[in-house]
Amino acid sequence: MNDTSLWVIFVLIGLATTLPRASFIVLGNRVQLPPVLQRALRYAPAAALAAIVAPDLLVVDGSVDVINAKLGGGIAAVAAALLSRNPWLPFVVGMAVLHGLRQLGG
Amino acid sequence: MSVPVTSSFMLGAREGFAAFLPVSVGLVPWALVMGMAMSSHGFSPVEAMGMNLIVFAGTAQLGTLPLISSDAPLWLIVVTALALNLRFVIFSAAIAPGFHGVGTPQRWLSGHLLTDGVFATCAERMLQVDDPRWRLGFYLAPSLWSWLLWQSFTLIGIFAAGIVPASWSLEFMATIALIVLLVPMARIPPMLVAALAGGAAATLLRDMPLRLGTVAAIIIGIAAGFLAEHLEHKRRQS
Repeated sequence: MNDTSLWVIFVLIGLATTLPRASFIVLGNRVQLPPVLQRALRYAPAAALAAIVAPDLLVVDGSVDVINAKLGGGIAAVAAALLSRNPWLPFVVGMAVLHGLRQLGG
Repeated sequence: MSVPVTSSFMLGAREGFAAFLPVSVGLVPWALVMGMAMSSHGFSPVEAMGMNLIVFAGTAQLGTLPLISSDAPLWLIVVTALALNLRFVIFSAAIAPGFHGVGTPQRWLSGHLLTDGVFATCAERMLQVDDPRWRLGFYLAPSLWSWLLWQSFTLIGIFAAGIVPASWSLEFMATIALIVLLVPMARIPPMLVAALAGGAAATLLRDMPLRLGTVAAIIIGIAAGFLAEHLEHKRRQS
């Protein structure tokens, strides 16, 4: 990470955030997205989140490993998010399981 | 003249704030985690707050953090941020009629401040009221409150991370945060299909050059979700 490019990255991510948000609010109701595209785009956030999370949980040192502490922590976090409305619980449970499994694995 | 004008804005603001206050509590853990995640990915407090002020988007920030710290190419970071923010195009289109009669600078400010929680709180009510000043107040009060909460608690998170040892793997909090965002989305079957396809594809295609696998995975996920929706629809009709 070099310092100048980091700020360039922030500005670009900022633009990639503010422009979609402001798009129709600023344009008003003069322009409309085709309905098919609107429906397809609804899946983008879920697909993108999963595409970032899954390799992080499944890949250990370059190869897929379905028995690892991170995956355990991730599954615990999913369970906590499904079963409870407490916003803190997935973090507490996920971190606890990650560290518990690491202790067990030595 | 200016008295009724101000009070109409203020009336809307008061109502918007009251409606949003309970929802806004949920922002606190997010902001703390965001601050801790940026710190544990190696950002200095100035860099972390810089990102927070420039971007102001939890999902896009959390989602791009692992890419930034693994030196992914710039275009991939931007494409990922865009994919994570595409829902805002739809929110923006849905809430746009609520800004009828509002000036362009205020629209830009409102657009910059548009978040999931504010959209959920404001969209319906804004379309039912005629007075543009009331609507702007009703929208801006929760938006600015959410901005203030977000910035303050991120700052606390940044400094909290500094006193925690690295062996605690606080960066895993960022992964958990992404999971917590994903779980409620994936309650709808086609959305779950999109997530499973996207996750599986990203894992299988992880060795593609320039991390093209991530982009391919997002596109595969969107296609799979769309297809699943189509099939579900057909099955219901037959």
